[in-house]
Amino acid sequence: VGATEVTQVTQVTHLPPRHALGSAAVDRTAPGSAVLDRTVLDGTAQGNTVLDDMAIQPVLPALRDLFPAGGLERGSVVAAGHWSLLCLALAAEASATGAWCAVAGLPQAGMAAAADAGLEPDRILLIPDPGPGWPQVVASLLDGCELVLLRPPDQPSAQVRLRVEAVVRRFGGVLVVAGDWAGARLRLQVTDQEWAGIGTGHGRLRARLARVAADGRGAAARSRARWLWLPAPDGSVAAADHTGAQGAFPGGPAIAAGHTGAQGAFPGGPDAAAGHSGHGSASWPELRSAG
Amino acid sequence: MTAGLPQRVLVLTCPDWEQVAGPDAAAFDQVVTAVEDLCPRVEVLRPGACAIAARGPARYFGGEEALAARIAAAVAACGFTCQVGIADSLFAARLAARAAAEQAAAGVAGPHAAAGKAEPQAATGAAGERVATGAAGEQAAAGERAPAQAAAERVMIVAPGETPAFLARHPVSVLEDPELADLLARLGIRTLGEFAALPFAAAASRFGAQGAAAHRLARGLEPRPLLTRPQGADLSVCAEFDPPASLAEPVVFAAKALAEQMHAGLAASGLACVRVEAQVTCSDGREITRLWRHDGLLTALAVAERVRWQLAAWQTSQEPQEPRAPASGDSCQQIRLKRLPENRSHPGERGRGEKGPGEGRPGERRRGEVARGEVAQGERGRDEGEGAWDEGTEPGGITLLRLVPDQLVRATGRQLGLWGDAVVSDRVARAALRVQAMLGHDSVTRPVLGGGRGPADQVTLVPFGDALQPRFPADRPWPGRLPAPAPATVYPFPLPARVADAAGAAVTVTGRAGVSAPPARLSACGGPWLVITSWAGPWPVTERWWHPVSARRKARFQLVAENGTAWLAFLQDSRWFLEANYE
Repeated sequence: VGATEVTQVTQVTHLPPRHALGSAAVDRTAPGSAVLDRTVLDGTAQGNTVLDDMAIQPVLPALRDLFPAGGLERGSVVAAGHWSLLCLALAAEASATGAWCAVAGLPQAGMAAAADAGLEPDRILLIPDPGPGWPQVVASLLDGCELVLLRPPDQPSAQVRLRVEAVVRRFGGVLVVAGDWAGARLRLQVTDQEWAGIGTGHGRLRARLARVAADGRGAAARSRARWLWLPAPDGSVAAADHTGAQGAFPGGPAIAAGHTGAQGAFPGGPDAAAGHSGHGSASWPELRSAG
Repeated sequence: MTAGLPQRVLVLTCPDWEQVAGPDAAAFDQVVTAVEDLCPRVEVLRPGACAIAARGPARYFGGEEALAARIAAAVAACGFTCQVGIADSLFAARLAARAAAEQAAAGVAGPHAAAGKAEPQAATGAAGERVATGAAGEQAAAGERAPAQAAAERVMIVAPGETPAFLARHPVSVLEDPELADLLARLGIRTLGEFAALPFAAAASRFGAQGAAAHRLARGLEPRPLLTRPQGADLSVCAEFDPPASLAEPVVFAAKALAEQMHAGLAASGLACVRVEAQVTCSDGREITRLWRHDGLLTALAVAERVRWQLAAWQTSQEPQEPRAPASGDSCQQIRLKRLPENRSHPGERGRGEKGPGEGRPGERRRGEVARGEVAQGERGRDEGEGAWDEGTEPGGITLLRLVPDQLVRATGRQLGLWGDAVVSDRVARAALRVQAMLGHDSVTRPVLGGGRGPADQVTLVPFGDALQPRFPADRPWPGRLPAPAPATVYPFPLPARVADAAGAAVTVTGRAGVSAPPARLSACGGPWLVITSWAGPWPVTERWWHPVSARRKARFQLVAENGTAWLAFLQDSRWFLEANYE
């Protein structure tokens, strides 16, 4: 109970007075306290940073090491390279723990993949085309949603960029940009990737082993990298056993079904690994459909 | 239904409705409105079909033939073909409308082609004559006569008292109760006439309540009276501002009072509205209209707040790039209305045809409103020269605010589910509605995961505020659906691509799902060629072969290019497309 009150006070001080009058400040406490409970219970704090629990949106355990704060800092902008599953993975844990997530300017976002990655489809708003007035749209969305995934329709000028950043700080939201953003506190990127499960004419795509590198400014200046299953065979995002993977990876080009290094670390177990050597038609379900 | 007098029912159906407009109930409103201009009380049976009580209007217009011809001409003027049937009961009138179409289809030679149907022949013949004379007598435009005459061939009138005889010829299958029809056929009862000849008590005891209702239908009686649509226009409320209001605040204040007035009017008639349309008219003749989901749940204050957002969005779209514009748009208390942007049309909303007959022709629409006497604004005349006003810098204020309840339904109260409904908190709803105010109702959507085989089929995007209903049910097996993991990128429209084998020839798939040669290179959207390092497929998909429009026959592939990008591609009609990307 005490924690909730603290959250509320923090939020109100962040917001301008007129918002304290409306319901926004009061409503915002609910997810905030959920975040707080979770970070306390999970022990998200890494010890090396002074962690303000209320200032963090949680991320998937597999991604936690990439963030100097152990999660998405509220009021910050994160650039995640071009649109990929990584953007969805960043939002997954926060969405699962009660945050609303808006996806703007991304008509191609795959919602089935989002749900598999851990996002709650009931708490997603899609704005496929925010149009030329997108900074205004993003500002309105940040008023209601804790997370906004954005691909700006045009290259923002420095002025527009600073204004959007100010709005993000004011509402205490997190803006994940699919693309580049000059003022981003953290920059994530897939630097290496390899698909498992598919051969030449047999098998099928089952999982991707990806190396995600993070760098940024301030506490994030030291660059970090992790190997992830992005996605794992069930569509989720998990940490890869990177001793096994790394052993196989320096060569890089060996993208093949019988990837021994990847197989060792394959999270799907024997069932998922079966497709590696077998024929694709056996693992693919009956396709001749009637209706 | 007046006791003693058999009622007369006119049914109008638009047979090509599904093809023209799709299953959009709201778009049928323009046809209904056209009919309402002639006869005030219309019951919409389903999108594409409506019914009216024909006795009064027929007497007014000088006979049922003239009435049918006028209605057919009015609907034809909207751009739809229609069939009209008039009979003593709703059921018979629907059959008559259907028979009118068959007659028109079979009889290229004219109305007399309906062999063996004595009274329809006479009736349609008469209808044709009446149209011709009526049109000439009333100096109708020459252009209107041709469609009216063409439409007259699709009219069938069953004379009063002839309805049982008309029905008697029809097979029992027209009762649209397959179980009963099957049972009757096995009992040797093949036509409605034979069924109607059974004593009512015997039919009721043998076939139950449904059978009793069907027996009433077969005898040409009504199972229920018509439920006519109450007129919506009376319930709209408006406020004028003289002098024009240049600030948003007085308009929002008036909106609250108007909304209270509208709610009182609705409550007095025992109605609720599904949506409310807020129209704001400016002194330079421009108009901004938005539809808001209401569902009988909005308070007067909430309606006023939506009007405020509407005005705020209007201002924002005028000066989207102004550096000093407030970041969150919440300073709309002090909006100064300069002038409206040039393009106020929002394809999402306009395309749905919710705006009535004058849709897409703003000038005409305004003239129509003036003609109806609802508003009489001196400034309205200016809208004729819109081009000149675009250059002008004279500020225009708001002269008129009108709230129109849309899609009236009987007020039955509404109870939100105790559990199960995903609760949208106020702040999220407010943010979503704000964006909807800026970009239109369809611009903010929520995803609903459903069934389906392809990645695009599995997700339905529902505009925020509408009922979350997937396109394809999720609880079916969907054999052959794309297995996990799902692609993270699903293109809204598949991208054209080229896939070649090692020799440079396009890769094809045979009828027995054999691939002509291993795919070696890929070019997306005319881009550079990429070497394919891994691939899998083809996986043939043959969906809905029984439905010519949505039938699909294609072969899916997964292709991994040299840069590590994994695509989901398909080959359809010898053309390659990329439908998703796994990245």
